[in-house]
Amino acid sequence: MLLTVEQELTRTAVREFAEAEIAPIAGEIDRNHRFPVESLPKLAAQGLMGMPFPEECGGAGTDHVSYTIAIEELARVCAATAVIVEAHVSLSTWPIWRYGTDEQRKKYLPDLASGRSVGAFGLTEPGAGTDAAAIATSAVPDGDGYVLNGSKVFITSGGYADVVVVFARTPEGGPSAFIVEKGTPGFTVGDGEDKLGIRGSNTPPLFFHDVHVPHEALLGKEGDGLRIALSTLDGGRVGIAAQAVGIAQGALEASIRYAKERVQFGKPLAAFQAIQWMVADMATDVEAARLLTYQAAALQDAGKPFAIAAAKAKLFAAQAATRVANQAIQIHGGNGYTAAYPVERAFRDAKITEIYEGTNEVQRMVISRSLLR
Amino acid sequence: MKIVAAYKWTADPQEAQVAADGRVDLSRARPVVSGYDAVAIEVGSRLAKDGGELVGASVGGPATASPIAVKTALARGLDRTVVVADDAVDGAGTAAAARVLAAVVQHIGDVDVVLTGDCSIDVAARMVPAVLAGVLGWPALTDVTAVEPMADGTLRVERVVPEGVQVLAVQTPAVIAVATDAAVPRVPGMKDVLAAGRKPVEKLDLAALGVEPTELTALAGTVRARAQAERAVRKQHVIDTADPAVAAAELVDTLREAGVW
Repeated sequence: MLLTVEQELTRTAVREFAEAEIAPIAGEIDRNHRFPVESLPKLAAQGLMGMPFPEECGGAGTDHVSYTIAIEELARVCAATAVIVEAHVSLSTWPIWRYGTDEQRKKYLPDLASGRSVGAFGLTEPGAGTDAAAIATSAVPDGDGYVLNGSKVFITSGGYADVVVVFARTPEGGPSAFIVEKGTPGFTVGDGEDKLGIRGSNTPPLFFHDVHVPHEALLGKEGDGLRIALSTLDGGRVGIAAQAVGIAQGALEASIRYAKERVQFGKPLAAFQAIQWMVADMATDVEAARLLTYQAAALQDAGKPFAIAAAKAKLFAAQAATRVANQAIQIHGGNGYTAAYPVERAFRDAKITEIYEGTNEVQRMVISRSLLR
Repeated sequence: MKIVAAYKWTADPQEAQVAADGRVDLSRARPVVSGYDAVAIEVGSRLAKDGGELVGASVGGPATASPIAVKTALARGLDRTVVVADDAVDGAGTAAAARVLAAVVQHIGDVDVVLTGDCSIDVAARMVPAVLAGVLGWPALTDVTAVEPMADGTLRVERVVPEGVQVLAVQTPAVIAVATDAAVPRVPGMKDVLAAGRKPVEKLDLAALGVEPTELTALAGTVRARAQAERAVRKQHVIDTADPAVAAAELVDTLREAGVW
């Protein structure tokens, strides 16, 4: 896929930024399970926290392909930072931009799209993961608003978010979406999970105990929650596919470097056909994943239906990232199994792309339904 | 103040492949704005921030006028750019490039200062600023680490010299070649990337500038590297002992032998 000059420039600029500001701390935030709070103003200054939103809303006004490229370039050096940006842009800011009233947009978008505040997306619950319609968090009408009770789990950036889009069941219409602000009485955040990968991303549970929100906090209409959640996740899936492409690209580059430097039996590894074929397969996987991802983003830019393309992109890219990271460790041998080389982190980071924002199995359901209906 | 930042669009040596025999292959290296010229653009951007205009100037082969080349430079902070992309300039040498750059500066007109990097990242001849200043009849200052406008219209310029830092009051117009310490080039943000496409680009050929290709051919051989002196090897003496008293005594003896003390 041929990119525009602006899209090429976006790649160059984000790569330069990511190499200078994100790569140096990527290993450390992983080791220490540390949310890189110091990166947020830097990401905001580069315009990365609101790329696809119009300039009048505080965004950068780029297309979705450019946004996809930016996520890919961040993930190439740090998958955790990539998902911090992705969840903020695709999962939190996007539904407010898409479904918010003028008042909600005016109130939240300037700070969210410029990166002055951080957003999160509260859908998953202990008893409702893939089955999003089964959420149990309740929102009961109460005078001038609603009272929320329940809990959420695995909420990306939950401990640092100023604004959370929370899904809760209203008595009449099923799930509804609400904008809940940090500091609202009764809204508390638990400790971040101890995860296999993307350890720099903070994913705590959220607790709602008699949390009163005004009518103005309702996003869309009562009962719109599932529709808002699923359409938000369509865009999110393109972002996660981009994250997977970036993880795979980073692992591929590390493998090529290592294969040229590492000498065994008097020759660099790159001289052995077994390694050459692995690198060829990895490069093909990365390119195929990238093309599917850009295709989904390009459909989004064209205003065409992209949910199926997003599901295909995420399914393929996530599996490709896992395969490529696995092969990268194989090429690195014993060294690859240690934290001294970046492919170990890539291997752990890649796995989550097969799970969050819709598992591989959910993507297959979405794709097959479109074919067999 | 009207400021011109001259920049070169060239292959990034960091992506060069070096063969076993030492040959450097730049054929697969991506083109970039020469890293030292990016410093010049950043210095110019800071100088222009209070109402000045920062104009880019670049001369070279056809790639110099490509959309990616001009937008990359514009995204780094230029207000507009003027480019001369001509086969006759491509590979014609530093003196020829400086001659065409001088014509571009005259074409822009009323220029107060021309900023360049100390050298290009690929050839590193360090000649263009001096030759450019010579053609224009302006002073040239190299190894400049700071430039600041003064109330009396002069520029306060700091240069690194062997004795330390030299501070000069410079009457404009002048050509100033900045050292890498002068500024850290900005990484373009997303708004810079999008704004780059809306900034003016002026593409000129040699005829428009009144420069004859034969003039460049004549300049091509004016400066030629005949030989390169071997770099002097600095003497070094390694003190390899864990005993501080022995190390101190050996250090004193070594310094005395060297005539330092």
